[in-house]
Amino acid sequence: MESLLSGESCQTPHCLSLAGKLFIFDSKRASVTHDSQRSELVFCRLSFDREANAFVKAAAAADGAAVISGRRSSHVDILKCKCALNVQQRVTTPCVLVTKKSETGESFQFSLLTLSSSNRLQPCFEFKLNYQIKEDVYILKGPTVLWSHAGDVFYTSLQAGEVRQIPIQLSHSCLDIKPPIQTLGYFVESGQVFDGAMILPHPYICLTRCMLVLSAEKVDGDGVLKSTLVAATSHQQLVYFENGTVKDICQLPFKQPEDIQVVNTGRNGCLFAVSFHQGHLCAIWKETFQVSAQWSDVSLVQVDDFLECGSDQMLLVFKDQGETGQPLERFLLTDLCGISYAVRHNFHSHMLCYLHSGLSVLQELEREVRVKERVLQQSVQALTDVVSEKESTLKQPEQVLFTKEDIQQPVTVLRRFFFLDGLVSVSLSILTETGRSSAPAVIQTQSQVLWLPAPCSSSSSSSLSSSSSASTFQEPAAKRSKQHNAGSPGDPNTCRLAVTAVTRLTPLLNSGCVKCYVMLHYVQRQDAFGLVSNPTPAVLHCGQVALDIHSNFQTRLLKNPELKTDEVKEDLLSLMVVLDRWVFHIDCPDHSLGDIDGWIQKRVGCKRIEVSPQYLLLDSSGPSALMLLRWHQITPFQGELSVHSSQLQMLQFLDSLLAYLPVSCSIQPVKASRGQGADQILSLALEKEVVSIRECTSLLLCDKEEDEDRKSLGHEETPEPATVKGLQRCREVWQRDVERSRKRLSPLVDVGRYRRLTQSMSQVLLDGDLAALLDTQTTLPS
Amino acid sequence: MCQYWWSFTLCTVVTFQFAFTFLFQQQERGAEAVSHNQNQTHQRWCLSEFHKLSRKIQGGIPPLVDHAQSELTVVYNTCLCSAALSQLSEAELLLSQATERVIQMTGDDPISSDPPAFWRTLLKSVGNTTFNSSVQHLLCLQWALWLAKCQLKTIQEFQDELFSLSETLSTELGDDKRSSERGKSSDIPLLVMDPRRLIELLQTCTFIAQGAERLSEGQSSEALSGLQKASSLPAPRMLLAYTHHLSGCCLASMSCPQMALQCYRKAVETDSRCVCALYQSLLIYRELGNTQAEIQALRLLHSSLLLPSATEPPLAGAALLSPSVLLCSQSLNRLLSVPSALSVLHSLAQKCVLYGRVSEGVEYYLDLLAALHSDDQHGVHEDPPLPRLPELYLEAGAALLTARRPADCMALCDEVVGTTLELLPEKLVLEEPEETSEIETGAVGAEGEDRMRMLLWTGAAYLLQGHCHTHLRDWKQAVTHYTRCINLLVKVHFKKKGDADMVGKQGTNLCILQRLKGLSLAGRGISFSQTDQLREALRDLHLSLQAAPDCVGAGLWCGEVLWRLGRRQEAAACWEKTWSFTAQSSVEGLRLYLQEPQTGPLLDSTELQHRIQELGPTLSA
Repeated sequence: MESLLSGESCQTPHCLSLAGKLFIFDSKRASVTHDSQRSELVFCRLSFDREANAFVKAAAAADGAAVISGRRSSHVDILKCKCALNVQQRVTTPCVLVTKKSETGESFQFSLLTLSSSNRLQPCFEFKLNYQIKEDVYILKGPTVLWSHAGDVFYTSLQAGEVRQIPIQLSHSCLDIKPPIQTLGYFVESGQVFDGAMILPHPYICLTRCMLVLSAEKVDGDGVLKSTLVAATSHQQLVYFENGTVKDICQLPFKQPEDIQVVNTGRNGCLFAVSFHQGHLCAIWKETFQVSAQWSDVSLVQVDDFLECGSDQMLLVFKDQGETGQPLERFLLTDLCGISYAVRHNFHSHMLCYLHSGLSVLQELEREVRVKERVLQQSVQALTDVVSEKESTLKQPEQVLFTKEDIQQPVTVLRRFFFLDGLVSVSLSILTETGRSSAPAVIQTQSQVLWLPAPCSSSSSSSLSSSSSASTFQEPAAKRSKQHNAGSPGDPNTCRLAVTAVTRLTPLLNSGCVKCYVMLHYVQRQDAFGLVSNPTPAVLHCGQVALDIHSNFQTRLLKNPELKTDEVKEDLLSLMVVLDRWVFHIDCPDHSLGDIDGWIQKRVGCKRIEVSPQYLLLDSSGPSALMLLRWHQITPFQGELSVHSSQLQMLQFLDSLLAYLPVSCSIQPVKASRGQGADQILSLALEKEVVSIRECTSLLLCDKEEDEDRKSLGHEETPEPATVKGLQRCREVWQRDVERSRKRLSPLVDVGRYRRLTQSMSQVLLDGDLAALLDTQTTLPS
Repeated sequence: MCQYWWSFTLCTVVTFQFAFTFLFQQQERGAEAVSHNQNQTHQRWCLSEFHKLSRKIQGGIPPLVDHAQSELTVVYNTCLCSAALSQLSEAELLLSQATERVIQMTGDDPISSDPPAFWRTLLKSVGNTTFNSSVQHLLCLQWALWLAKCQLKTIQEFQDELFSLSETLSTELGDDKRSSERGKSSDIPLLVMDPRRLIELLQTCTFIAQGAERLSEGQSSEALSGLQKASSLPAPRMLLAYTHHLSGCCLASMSCPQMALQCYRKAVETDSRCVCALYQSLLIYRELGNTQAEIQALRLLHSSLLLPSATEPPLAGAALLSPSVLLCSQSLNRLLSVPSALSVLHSLAQKCVLYGRVSEGVEYYLDLLAALHSDDQHGVHEDPPLPRLPELYLEAGAALLTARRPADCMALCDEVVGTTLELLPEKLVLEEPEETSEIETGAVGAEGEDRMRMLLWTGAAYLLQGHCHTHLRDWKQAVTHYTRCINLLVKVHFKKKGDADMVGKQGTNLCILQRLKGLSLAGRGISFSQTDQLREALRDLHLSLQAAPDCVGAGLWCGEVLWRLGRRQEAAACWEKTWSFTAQSSVEGLRLYLQEPQTGPLLDSTELQHRIQELGPTLSA
């Protein structure tokens, strides 16, 4: 074991780099006299000579040696060498940890040597253990030596003066991931313990083979640790973590990662150099997080500013030693962005790295373009949202309408509230909408006036309705309602007046629609003091009222749709009259519609009406949830759907139907049964607005893109990067791509075309505004 | 830790929606006639993005239940994209990796390798988990892959579960839930294709593939019932047309030709691109002997094959997953195959000329020749193969002659003679190959065959030219050309190997040779009879009847010459014999130029009968 170790150490000398110099340490047995051997630690310092394109020994005092042990039997091994900050001297010095076994073999002596500026190896501190450090050992700032042994972690430093144990037990039982294990972090300096998940998420702990903490900062107060780190996992991935969350993942080309180093290439950003088992190495740009280069047969990787140019380079020393056995026979010194010195190395792969990095920049730009497009789309979405909200705010129902249900005599009660002074007699009349006949017909009503005491500015309609619901109705007597003189219980000036009108349902049904005009008739007193001598009757138009007749509609039909009596038929007819009716033409040119009738029947509460089987009754429990549906399949691709229901219900039904229907399906209302209302005009105008915004913009950008594509199409072939010319071409193509991507981000458009766009857009906007105005006027009658 | 997963999932979902949006946009644009190629490029790009995303979301770590749904959704999307690009093995690999991870999540023991049993256990073990529906979506994909790989047996075993999948999914993704989700930006990852749509497509395609398979196995009625079910499912136009078409094929094999025709009509009405239905209906008309309808169908088929949409792959670019990926079984392809436009045109021309629409047929022949000249790949990809070019020339020539355009016919024949004359052999031995020796003759036989054909074409060309001159009543020229033909034909030495039956076999070289001999001798004999060289005429006509006993013209004219020579009884016997032949002579199988000419000097049968009747008493006396 011992000899094996020594043998190894002789073959692969320990290296470290500091301030552009490469230090090589080696332990040696030198025989002084014939019976005594002593162990020596020799080192040499190399620096890169650009002229010679090789590492040469620094001019003065490049070599050195230190005697570690004079005793014959003791044997010295280098455990670790690393640069570390010497806290006392505030300089970074190369540190070498060496070990020697005592003669008895029971204890081991360790000593940390530092290389002073005067090029001498000086012992920093020593410590003794009764075991050999076999597992991981680290030299940290301080210098501090940290190692683990049998599940415990120990450290020592000049400040500590002794070997201390960190109060954390290492566990290796993280194979089973289900029970969450606490992972802990530990600040060596302060001795504080923190939650390890703050830097590395739990699932990665078992996978991580090596990691590199780029930054870690404790935010005072809340104990949060801000950290960034990269970790190479056993799944051949390099994962970038920020504050304990995954930010990016890169697939690695090799297995068994061993070490990660960071290379700061200056303005080109940072590289991660990940070295793997058996001398594989790959470099990953931090920005793009993509592999840009990879090498094999690398025996040593050092990162430093060997060229003394202000940024780091990687020094790769390749295994395959020449006959001379010189340690730096074959190497590559590069930062992948222009600097490259190589001995016996193929230039070709280097150029490839170059192209790789260019490609990743390009991909980045493309990603930005995509983001931009998405933003555009979201804006359109937002616009549509605004439009739909606008629509809903416009609907402010003014009339309050109640329906009283009575199977034998359906009666509708209409109440309106007025604030009128000095009224003598008041009555309401309901007129049918001007339909087929030019003059609207008056519907038989009976009015009743109620004086409401205690005027209050904001009276809630619900309370009023409940107070007046006890009022009695009289049978209708005349075509025109009689005028009732309501007794004035108080001062009419301070009272409010409620006028109700009662009518039978039938005349409303006969009129073919349930939207009526309401007229108020009243006689006003001439003056407050005079006699009731010459009263002048007045008529006030109170606007339109939509009668909501079908709430709580109870018939034999609804109770039992299987009945086949004449009454049920009558019920069906009156139901069809009462409910609003929409007819839709459903057309799907490239996809058959399937069994829509079956789909409707599968819905909750759907029953077929036996009297007229083409109709389906949808009576899901709930207020005003009554629907009559009729599906008529014309071809497998076309059909006609008749919906008898309230508007909201119809929309809800269509929405769920749309989810069932193929995507390419179109639903068109078949000649709106109520004519093209103002709201329909408005919705069409808004739709047109949205569509034309989208079309104009895309047209403006599309044409341009096509132009450019056409221009660049001629140079589509990918040149061979092998030749100088080809390389130049590669570069040009890349440059052009970058340029094009940049242009796409902020495209230039033709002025004339843009002007035309704004003109047409303003016309469309104008139409939309007009439609909105019309709609407001009709829905909010003054 | 929880927070970590949250943010992680959120981030990937956003990225995902991003990729999705693009794919979706592309689909929408697809309607705007974006070419198939571009679409494919885009799909490829999406696929690579999904691959990256799935790598990211799996993160190289063991699967966790917390974000199983997102992960499986990404797998679904990736898999679907690669299946849409026909990268089936890749999709299969992805799917098996995903199921592997699901098993890790549920912590079950490795389950059986038999696919249906595997999925049954898997579905059972994820029954109550949050990602139950995601696993069901994966099963849909598995279904699609089985279908694409024609593993119909596996599907059959698992059919009940697969078909009930749509029920479970539609209840889960109930309308209410869906409509409430839609519009809001929810954290539920989006799918590139609604699983219900996928299931609809898979159901229809499964029915179609199974129908075709059963039909090829002879289980027509079983196939028919499946196809009837499929026709009521919502499906793309093309697939609906296929179900009608295949129903027609079933009915045709159940010998219900009229019902089959109804189905084919429905198929064409549903989708005009379904030309295979037209082709099948034309086969039925042919079988029924309804020539006029057959010609009509041929004409329709030809014009629809010329439409650009017919040759395009169906539904390219319209949907993400094209049904053509799912329908690739051989038995189905056989039922959907259609001959090329040129060979349809050829049969159309031939049928027209044979069944009295001569001028129409001539036009079709000329169209065919023009098309062949503009498209020099003639004969390379034809299935069934078109006749060789000289034969087409000769057929066209015969058609032209029938249409009384002898000059055009002669020009075409000159063309044939010009190209083949140089290559004619001095002497040729015709060995009718026996069934067994056919393989042995090999290359030498093929070469000899070629030379034989060449000789027959030239002979036929001379024959047609002779007919032309006969039509023009230029008897001398006619005799010259007939003689040329005869001289050519006697170069062939027939080596008898098998039975004498060989002559009767239509289409064989020997049959053609004998037919040519018979016709040319008959033609020369008739020409001689017109110039009153009755002895020569009689000799030729006798020889003609020896070569081709079913030659009506030769028989009648032989009688006529005998009559003129005063050998009336013989003449009458000859006529009677000829008439008895005409009843059974078949025209269909012969090439057009081997038919007897309709244009030469004619003998009126009734007049001949009359003569026999006049002769009658003498005969009986």
